[in-house]
Amino acid sequence: MKCELYEELFTGWINKELSPEESGALERHIAGCANCREELQGLQQMWDTMGQIETPEPSANMGVKFYAMLNTYKESVNEQRSLWADIKYQVSRIWEWQPRWPMAYNLAMVVILVGAGYLFFGKSKSDDQDKQLKALSSQVHELKQTMMLALLENPSASERIRGVSYTSEIKHADKQVIDALLATLNNDPNVNVRLSTLDALTHLTGYPEVREGLIKSIVEQDSPLMQLAIADVMLKLQEKRSVTSFKELLKQKGLDNGVRDKIKQTITQLI
Amino acid sequence: MLKVKAGDLDRMGMLFERYNRQLYGFLFHMTYQRELSEDMVQQVFYKMLKYRHTFTGTGEYIHWMYSIARNVLKDHWRKNKQQVQHEGVEAAETIAGGLVPDEAFEKKQAKAELHRAMEKLSESQREILALSRFQELKCQEIAEILGMTEGTVKVRIHRAMQELKSIYVKMER
Ligand SMILES: [Zn+2]
Repeated sequence: MKCELYEELFTGWINKELSPEESGALERHIAGCANCREELQGLQQMWDTMGQIETPEPSANMGVKFYAMLNTYKESVNEQRSLWADIKYQVSRIWEWQPRWPMAYNLAMVVILVGAGYLFFGKSKSDDQDKQLKALSSQVHELKQTMMLALLENPSASERIRGVSYTSEIKHADKQVIDALLATLNNDPNVNVRLSTLDALTHLTGYPEVREGLIKSIVEQDSPLMQLAIADVMLKLQEKRSVTSFKELLKQKGLDNGVRDKIKQTITQLI
Repeated sequence: MLKVKAGDLDRMGMLFERYNRQLYGFLFHMTYQRELSEDMVQQVFYKMLKYRHTFTGTGEYIHWMYSIARNVLKDHWRKNKQQVQHEGVEAAETIAGGLVPDEAFEKKQAKAELHRAMEKLSESQREILALSRFQELKCQEIAEILGMTEGTVKVRIHRAMQELKSIYVKMER
């Protein structure tokens, strides 16, 4: 092979991104090519020196200015933000709900009701208006929940993660939401989705059924990443009931050795 | 980041805490000026705040941040065509006399000279080296930020390194 063909490998070599096969190929070439050997050595040396060039720290002033800017921005936005903004945001995403027309209908009702509310009560504050707005807020809240459930069924993994992330906006999770999250935790084919779901569920451990679901899930997970993550969660929760599940997991054949150690450690820390 | 998009502005503070140094470092190695880099960090975060609705949630938040930073830099260079004013990382190379041990002194000298040599690279060459060496991003991440293939990124890094070496060698003479 010609020397130029090794150009990409040179970069991979100096920043240590080569696979063993690629390293091997390059090593075989430089063993017989003094030019490339010399060049690679020179570049490596320069790369190392570059690594010692310091980057200065920003001054404290930068943070002060940033927060001043953020506060000003917040004040200006707060004045405009209202339920309307929230609804507008939902409307802009209406295409995501296409399979669920009843929801679009719900949303249309909310929009009409809020509109009517403004017409009737104008801008003046009144108890009735407050009551009505509260009722509407709860409807919007329900919509968020329905939207989350819809997103969890999306074929794209990043959309499903988005669905999971909506959980943090839902104030009280009902059984339907919890069941959907637990099902995702145990069955989603994508490990990133499962990890996000685990993260979302750790914020809901106030619900006993979430805790139980997590414990049951321990033996369901086959990815080392998930097994380690769940072990961490159980430690954080100091959930002693999980020990039996972990012991069960240890019996599984083909369990990653790193995971095995971590699980054993977790068990000792929990007992 | 999707949370910021949904209007939770407090999250922006968290993102600032997480990324401000990294972003500052990148801008410093691109401009060689501390105060200017701080101003630019501010501009980048302001733009992210203002245009948060345009962040689609696909791809990494950090790639979006870099692409905004690159636009801020381009804007700056369009407005200020004059040469960059170098504020070196190390003023130590100007220390007179034998207080500094020779070897350490030479190392510092080499570092400072290399940094000055980088200044003579084209903006795009300096950028790709700043991203890979100083920001320590993987070639694949750089490819995403710059919108090229990973192979192209690797070839360009290699060419930038070759160019840097030839500038450096000339400076030493
Ligand atoms: Zn060769």
